[in-house]
Amino acid sequence: MTSAVRTTRIGAGTYLVEHDGRNETVYVAGPASDRWVFWNGQVFRGDFRPDTPLTAPAAGPKAGAHGSVTAIVAPMPARVGSVAVAIGSRVRKGDILIVLEAMKMELPIRAPGDGVVAAVHCEEGQLVQADAALMDLE
Amino acid sequence: MIRRVLIANRGEIALRIIQACREMNIETIAVFSDADARAPHVLAADRAVAIGPAPAIQSYLSIPTLISAARAERADAVHPGYGFLSESAAFARACEQAGVVFVGPPSEVISRMGSKIEARQLMQSAGVPIVPGHVPHDQSDSGVRRALEEIGFPALVKASAGGGGKGMRVVEGIAEATGAVQAARREAVASFGDGTLYVERLLDRPRHVEVQVFADAFGHTTHLFERECSAQRRHQKVLEESPSPALTPALRQRMTQAAVAAARAAEYRNAGTIEFLVEGRGDGANFYFLEMNTRLQVEHAVTEAVVGVDLVRAQLLVASGEPLPWEEGSLAQRGHAIEARVYAEDPSREFLPQAGRLLLYREPRMPGVRVDAGVAEGHEVTVHYDPMLAKVIAVGETRDAAISRLAAALRAYPVLGIRTNIPYLLAVLDHSRFRSGDIDTSFLDREAGDLVHSVPEPPAFLREALRQLGDEADEPRTTTHEANTDPWLTLRDWRA
Repeated sequence: MTSAVRTTRIGAGTYLVEHDGRNETVYVAGPASDRWVFWNGQVFRGDFRPDTPLTAPAAGPKAGAHGSVTAIVAPMPARVGSVAVAIGSRVRKGDILIVLEAMKMELPIRAPGDGVVAAVHCEEGQLVQADAALMDLE
Repeated sequence: MIRRVLIANRGEIALRIIQACREMNIETIAVFSDADARAPHVLAADRAVAIGPAPAIQSYLSIPTLISAARAERADAVHPGYGFLSESAAFARACEQAGVVFVGPPSEVISRMGSKIEARQLMQSAGVPIVPGHVPHDQSDSGVRRALEEIGFPALVKASAGGGGKGMRVVEGIAEATGAVQAARREAVASFGDGTLYVERLLDRPRHVEVQVFADAFGHTTHLFERECSAQRRHQKVLEESPSPALTPALRQRMTQAAVAAARAAEYRNAGTIEFLVEGRGDGANFYFLEMNTRLQVEHAVTEAVVGVDLVRAQLLVASGEPLPWEEGSLAQRGHAIEARVYAEDPSREFLPQAGRLLLYREPRMPGVRVDAGVAEGHEVTVHYDPMLAKVIAVGETRDAAISRLAAALRAYPVLGIRTNIPYLLAVLDHSRFRSGDIDTSFLDREAGDLVHSVPEPPAFLREALRQLGDEADEPRTTTHEANTDPWLTLRDWRA
């Protein structure tokens, strides 16, 4: 079935995909390593080149573990509204660590597990980018 | 007649107002923060004035800055749009004092209707039904708790100065009353600087139905029928339509008359909306005054579509001292209109707001579909402002036809570079309860919270097409705002 697929560029970022006797319009943007694709109201994102596993963005606030230290990172660009804990604070899973503000909304960042605040990398009022390190938990 | 308008807003509503002004030969002055220097509303206006840094509190919410901009540009009127300062009595008063026409009601009407308690009392005296409730004279914990007991549980405790669900708590029983009262008061003081509370009976699965009203200075106060806005997610409207599938002709008659009575009691002027909660079904349903929005609404385009009027044009005419541009009693609802709000938020990640560059952005173009948007391909969606990118309004002869047309438009609306709620909107439009029209204000939170819980896998044909593309890449049309050399975007005052 896949051998019958034909792809033709018909405009900027716009492709006609012919398959199984059907015509589909597909929109594509971004580099091959991080494609954004729109078809029929759905958006797909990832690296779709041959032999590359599909990479979907992780759900929820991302936390990268390095040994016993867990880095708390910003899930999106935002302003730091408040920092609820300080270095040395003991926190439990689900406790609010930081409240980010973006687009008129408050976004609480919660502890992914029990631990102690080892470092705070942000302060109130600061603008942070997506994936910026906000705090380390031990 | 107004000749030059300063638009104290941004995004799609600023563009909407600019368009109406163009048609009326009124000059437009846009304002912009540092984050918006090349925003579509700046490019579209005749002139534009910088008003400060990106945070709204230092720019779009700065009354002294906006007033001096209006003075310096010799604007004879200010249109506040919606949001920002549109319901600020202080801003309306500052305009009045500066000798600039505020396109909206007089400042004292804004402050009268801005106080929930005062508005309730006014409506009660005008014979407009209000939610059974009570404003306790004794505002202590025990005083408010006694008021809750008198109303009966479940009940709501609300802030007089409140809005958007802030300073509001549901109280299921007496055991949780004191805690809820204290929490509501804390929030009310923190958010509005006023801890005055009142209590209301909690309605059983109410619908949100609002009536558009309009009044001029010649004693004409009219309504332009209703909008059904029960499809809300966390108090944020998602889909709006007219007519409401819940209103019988008799109920519509009663509600629109009550809305006109409410507007008269408020001595209203210009465009406004009376929000009601509707409990029950059929002719015998009860409706209750919720609040009045003393401004143009986001969803005004739904009314424009079914009634066939231009509300922004009417606002500018009435603000100029002209009578309403339509005959009382000559208006009717024709067909059905439905609007979807397209938000920059990721429905698969708990509706996390999204910021970033619009790598690709193409609006659908088809008969019966209107798109009001404030963004363009290549532009940056920043963290500073509301996440609403656009509104899509579809009309049809019937509700089903309008819904199908809206879904078709959303399926042909590619937005790439940031996630939007379009997949969620499509899932809601496809939901059998939504299709049946039988929904209430908690429907989306209760039954449609996780309609889009995971990022879908592309179908096989699409994977194959993307494999064939390999490393092929289109050059982005605009890489930075500064590098933008498209004369259609950079020339001002250019008409073809």
